[in-house]
Amino acid sequence: MGNEAIFQKLKTAIEEMDSDMAAEGAREAVAAGIDPLTAINEGLSLGMKTMSDLFDEGEMFVPQLVVAAQAFDAAVAILKEAIPEEDKDKANRGKVLIHTVQGDIHDIGKNIVKTMLSASGFEVFDLGRDVPVEEVVTQAKKLKVDIIAGSALMTTTMPSQRDIVSLLKEEGIRDQFKCMFGGAPVSPEWVEKIGADAYAETASEAVTKAKELMAQLGR
Amino acid sequence: MAHTIIFQPDGARAQCADGDTLLTVSGGAGIELETPCGGAGNCGKCLVRVENQAMSAITEPERESLSTEEIAMGFRLACQCRAHGDMTVFIPETSRQSRQIIVSDGRAVSGRLKPGLACLILKLDKPSLNDPRDDWQRLSEALAARDFYNIKIDYTALRQLPGALRAGAWTISVVLWQAREIIAVFPGEKEKIYGAAIDIGTTTLAGFLGDLTAGEIVAQAAAANSQVRFGDDVISRVSHCMMEDDGLERLNRAIIGDVNQLLERMRAKAGVDKGDVLDMTVVFNTVMHHIFLGIRPDWLGRAPFTAAVRGPLNIKARDVGLALATGAYLHCLPIEAGFVGADNVAVLLTQRAAIDDEQTTLVIDIGTNGEINLIGNGRVLAASCATGPAFEGAQIKHGMRAAPGAIEHLTIDPEQFAVTLATIGRENGVKARGICGSGIIDAVAELRKVGLLLADGRFNKEIDCPRLRLDEKGKYEFVLVWATESATGHDIALTQKDIRAIQLAKAALYAGARLLLRRMKRETIDRVILAGAFGSYIRVESALAIGLFPDCPVEQVEVVGNAAGVGARIALFDVDMRREAARLAAMAEFVETATDPDFQNAFASAMYFPPWPEAGAARGIL
Ligand code: B12
Repeated sequence: MGNEAIFQKLKTAIEEMDSDMAAEGAREAVAAGIDPLTAINEGLSLGMKTMSDLFDEGEMFVPQLVVAAQAFDAAVAILKEAIPEEDKDKANRGKVLIHTVQGDIHDIGKNIVKTMLSASGFEVFDLGRDVPVEEVVTQAKKLKVDIIAGSALMTTTMPSQRDIVSLLKEEGIRDQFKCMFGGAPVSPEWVEKIGADAYAETASEAVTKAKELMAQLGR
Repeated sequence: MAHTIIFQPDGARAQCADGDTLLTVSGGAGIELETPCGGAGNCGKCLVRVENQAMSAITEPERESLSTEEIAMGFRLACQCRAHGDMTVFIPETSRQSRQIIVSDGRAVSGRLKPGLACLILKLDKPSLNDPRDDWQRLSEALAARDFYNIKIDYTALRQLPGALRAGAWTISVVLWQAREIIAVFPGEKEKIYGAAIDIGTTTLAGFLGDLTAGEIVAQAAAANSQVRFGDDVISRVSHCMMEDDGLERLNRAIIGDVNQLLERMRAKAGVDKGDVLDMTVVFNTVMHHIFLGIRPDWLGRAPFTAAVRGPLNIKARDVGLALATGAYLHCLPIEAGFVGADNVAVLLTQRAAIDDEQTTLVIDIGTNGEINLIGNGRVLAASCATGPAFEGAQIKHGMRAAPGAIEHLTIDPEQFAVTLATIGRENGVKARGICGSGIIDAVAELRKVGLLLADGRFNKEIDCPRLRLDEKGKYEFVLVWATESATGHDIALTQKDIRAIQLAKAALYAGARLLLRRMKRETIDRVILAGAFGSYIRVESALAIGLFPDCPVEQVEVVGNAAGVGARIALFDVDMRREAARLAAMAEFVETATDPDFQNAFASAMYFPPWPEAGAARGIL
């Protein structure tokens, strides 16, 4: 099977939300000696892009994204093993730390955002959900990320986003990170009010905003 | 600087301070606007049109909800627009809150009469120089003669005692609470004592006044929960308490005021004195429970969602500011766990017979917050389902509560796609101005039936139907009512986004039920009990058609009305049932869907409409 055919298979696997096919494609890519990052960019990510466009158009909804994301993750897990340590930083658009904020357990939206960001070439560290504010800041420093991304699905947990910004300021490291927040009740006004850097309503917009933030960082 | 605002077409006037929102000002002028989001700016329901420019600039939430045309025409959201001068504000029909219809009757209560109060009539010896015992000692000894020892007396009852004894010529009626404490005394022979049972919902309240001597309900009443203006769902109420300094106080005052009004209305109907209402049971969800008792609900709003107290409580009604007899206690039924509150325990009381059954019964109480129980084989499993307010018409473009003008039911003709409506108030010639939860469920079910809606929630664009069209934003919508037929002069439509909101809401419920089934190691449900106001209105066939809950034969679905209210009544009349409630609350196994690794998949697959697509099943989505 030629490289093109493998890329096509990876793309189709995502579009058809088929985890088995995605895993198979990933193994074929590794066997064929294809650069894993190229396989992600030329295959899987294009599939994710299709799904995201269809979601924006109302043609797809959460279940399709969830399942497509699972197929994506299954393939990436296989491909990642094949990436040599020294290449891990290569072709990386930037480092994002993502989490669901303290007090909140809703992570379906966050997981979709995470997959879309990885599909777009970001290196994403996922801290999970109900992550304490201090933990977010500690890990951001340790992992030297560019962007801190936090999801809040309840009006009662949105204040944790503000607390992250405050803690960064307190520690005098606010300018070392870009803060991007989202989740259903979060609004551009809120993000502006708490002094964060970006808001996105959907996962595909999150990718656009993340790229803009990287541009602001001059990368 | 004060401004004058005139509201049209009412012609109402109000003064306001510079920078007040039109929502605040309209409230002051006695005009209630729709605010399901509590004035956060994201529901777009408090639409008004303004005449001049003396106001704040358009905000981002307004840009989201209003079309450019509307903005050009001077439309604003009342919660966003602030007055900076005198203004004239037009309020469209659709933005007004209309009186809600509330089901609160439930079923006839068949229970025992064993109240927590006993009214004892005692004849005491008159004091004399030879018998100088004090009044209380005299009474205590008379009680002891009837085998009541170590009885306390409420301080306010004590103050009444000397007068009552003498006014009744040493015949006195004492009201004994749980054989422990005298909470009231009356001169002579008291014939009737009363008690109240109250169900405090996030949106509505239902009250019952019961004759504890005869064991019958003498009056009932319902009212809207006036906290609604601080937000629709429990979480917005919690955030109000967290964000505003006197938030809790305000919400608490609102609910205590509502309950007192309800009590007063019922007393007036039945001609009962305040001092004769001597007992009360209350059921509510956990957040309402805390706010009612003036306990900070802040920590209920974030993981791990810890309550301040779960067990049953007996509290002096006067301590929480309730207008009952001064010595009366109120009894709060216990909370099960997290968001599964005392109202759910009350529902379980009504269904307790099914617990030891071999059949599996799914009990669904859909309100603003959905609770489900799976009962049978001696077990009770419980979960809270974050359905959200979509079923109450919030988050739906033309959604509204069940009130006059709401489409409550509809059918769609499979050939011509003509829509036949049943609108609330149609007997009085009221035309449709929106659609409420039961109508939305019908609409989705019918669209599905006639093939206009695909299993994954997309409209079927292959079908040629003039009602299926693109809206101003280029998204598909289905026109339910043409402008010429509506009360608003606009088309009433169900949009693709509305369908998506319903999918999320129904999937939350369905997925919850599935997880409970799995925990019970069962495949299918034998019976479904639909409780709550919303459950009373929905058409069962439609609910099954959209997959609101796992499949079950239609004839095994029973609609029981306000079962929480019934449970509160059972506990009012039968004190043993308060203990039973505590037992049920303790035995209920709370299933935390949040931490269940399978939830995400169950939720995602539950978003489809039945019959479940083969393809999905093959791929293991289902
Ligand atoms: C699924 C769900 C749950 C699941 C969560 C499962 C999980 N692992 O996530 C479960 C059942 C566990 C749950 C629980 C609760 N939930 Co819930 N839940 C929902 C529901 C139905 C859907 C949320 C969802 O997943 N949407 C789909 C995803 C894809 O959308 P999204 O998260 O918005 O994400 C998109 C964007 O926002 C954006 N985005 C998201 N994150 C980020 C981050 C960044 C950085 C950026 C840029 C963008 C971005 O991109 C995403 C993709 O496009 C909503 C109601 C609804 N209709 O929305 C309620 C809802 C969020 N829940 C709510 C509540 C209150 C709860 C509970 C606390 C209580 C309850 N009522 O049950 C419980 C708590 C748990 C407990 N102990 O009982 C409320 C919150 C109310 C409020 N005013 O804030 C809601 C709104 C429902 C309601 N009105 O009652 N819930």
